[in-house]
Amino acid sequence: MSRIGITTTVPVEIILAAGRIPVDLNNIFITDKDASKLVEAAEDAGYPRNICGWIKGLYSVVIESGDIDTVIAVTQGDCSNTHALMETFEMADIKTLPFAYPFDRDYDLLKLQMDKLIAALGTNWEAVASVTERLKSLRLKVAEIDRRTWQENTVSGWDNHLFQVSCSDFDGDVDAFEQRLDAFLEQNDTAAEYNENIRLGFIGVPPIFTDLYAYFEQMGARVVFNEVQRQFAMPNRVDDLVEQYRQYTYPYGVFGRIKDIQAEIEKRNLDGIIHYVQSFCFRQIEDMIFREKLDIPILTIEGDKPGRVDARTKLRIDSFLEMLK
Amino acid sequence: MLCGIDLGSRSVKMVLTDTAGNIRLSRVFETVRFYREYGMRQQDGLMVDFATLGVGKVEEVVATGYGRNTIDIVGATVIPELKAHALGAIWQTGLSDFTLLDLGGQDSKVIKVRKKKMVDFATNDKCAASTGRYLENMANVLDITLEELSRYSENPVELNSTCAIFGESELIGRIVEGYGIAELAAGVNFTIYKRIKPMMTSLVSDTIVFTGGVALGQAIRTLIERELQREVVVPQYPQLNGAIGCIAYALEKRDQHAAGN
Repeated sequence: MSRIGITTTVPVEIILAAGRIPVDLNNIFITDKDASKLVEAAEDAGYPRNICGWIKGLYSVVIESGDIDTVIAVTQGDCSNTHALMETFEMADIKTLPFAYPFDRDYDLLKLQMDKLIAALGTNWEAVASVTERLKSLRLKVAEIDRRTWQENTVSGWDNHLFQVSCSDFDGDVDAFEQRLDAFLEQNDTAAEYNENIRLGFIGVPPIFTDLYAYFEQMGARVVFNEVQRQFAMPNRVDDLVEQYRQYTYPYGVFGRIKDIQAEIEKRNLDGIIHYVQSFCFRQIEDMIFREKLDIPILTIEGDKPGRVDARTKLRIDSFLEMLK
Repeated sequence: MLCGIDLGSRSVKMVLTDTAGNIRLSRVFETVRFYREYGMRQQDGLMVDFATLGVGKVEEVVATGYGRNTIDIVGATVIPELKAHALGAIWQTGLSDFTLLDLGGQDSKVIKVRKKKMVDFATNDKCAASTGRYLENMANVLDITLEELSRYSENPVELNSTCAIFGESELIGRIVEGYGIAELAAGVNFTIYKRIKPMMTSLVSDTIVFTGGVALGQAIRTLIERELQREVVVPQYPQLNGAIGCIAYALEKRDQHAAGN
């Protein structure tokens, strides 16, 4: 089976149905022990300094991998930098397949995009349906980890984050991923409850900082709601796969996300929200909308390059948590 | 004696009071010099050499500054920086509802205070273009002191630079165009106002308390009053506000302790 890169969550069922191995380039980038080097390599190649660090990381992951010859790039619903990322991939003889989430959540347009991806990868809806069925038990188990995070208080924010973001590609191996889920859940059955003072929600794209969640926990707070990561894991149980990717909030504008966040603020009894934004990202603009629409204290933190949380950001987190006490 | 220390990015501020809170001594050190001359690295953190400082016997030390976990002064209680500044402003002004604007060496902070509690805040991030460091650079380019720079607020030249360093070349461009010191200096001060305005607008109160080293000068205060149409209060010790907040915290704890007994 050959590996196929994805720039963000796409209908992974189609890739698996085609017998290909999905690789979420973001996960490879951020778990690289020298992730900053990957950003530097892209800058050496000519990527501007004032462009999102994730895009640069994605570029280098593919160029340096040697065994990813195709990338499915989300051209609508994620980030317009992806357009130029695709073009630079093409310059390096990497095949790119565009995938666009329709801005207005139109069912037919989304189905058409999925039809085209099915055709491009040479599979069919029957095969996709059987993968969808296979993934059901995994998605339920990830939802259980999320539930234990906020309801049983036995899972750390970071573990929950990791399992949720991994649902974009199931680490490229569905069976092995399910074994890891089973092992985690079994071990967690006897885990002690967390007793932190402050319950946080984390909204926005996954952080480029590597020790952010650990820092929250060190300071007496815990993330019990991972907004976008939870969406990557497809929390709504629906039988129709097109509808599943239509209910997925992340690619369709901010207002659908706000409805989801508002419901979870109540349900999970949050004290405050961390809005993470990436330097140079258009989503920074949406911060003003969150601040107006969400009736809860919000701290906006910005990350640029991969690495540990810097002293300035720590100072702001400390003050925010102090304010919530 | 009680000691409050604010370990800032550019300077270390120290205030010593008696147990009734009367200020007996205050000092401002350059940050690097403070660590070099009065700090001793020990296994359990930084030991401040109060003997060399010549400040007598210190009963209690409360410190604040750059990241609560990065400060590790032996025997000190460390409190978050924004909390220290809010407490300092309350202690110095006696106000309970206001917006605190603190412009320091590399930080700008805006804190909304209601009923003597911090309810929201904003700080600059990733950029020093609204801070004292920018003013220092610009004063250097204009070859005037910070004191002189802070006198001018009328007829500012237009400056757009988003960066504390590139601001220099932009300013030089204006000098070459023939503008006078007064207009250039006013332009520099107005850039600071423009940078803090979005933070101020979302957290504004009827009264603005202005602190930090930058509040020692007049121009930016004048600009804020004129542009935002709000009363601006500069407390007696604007630069020492964080250190005074540490003292206020120590006194508050003592009161609570006494009440508990």
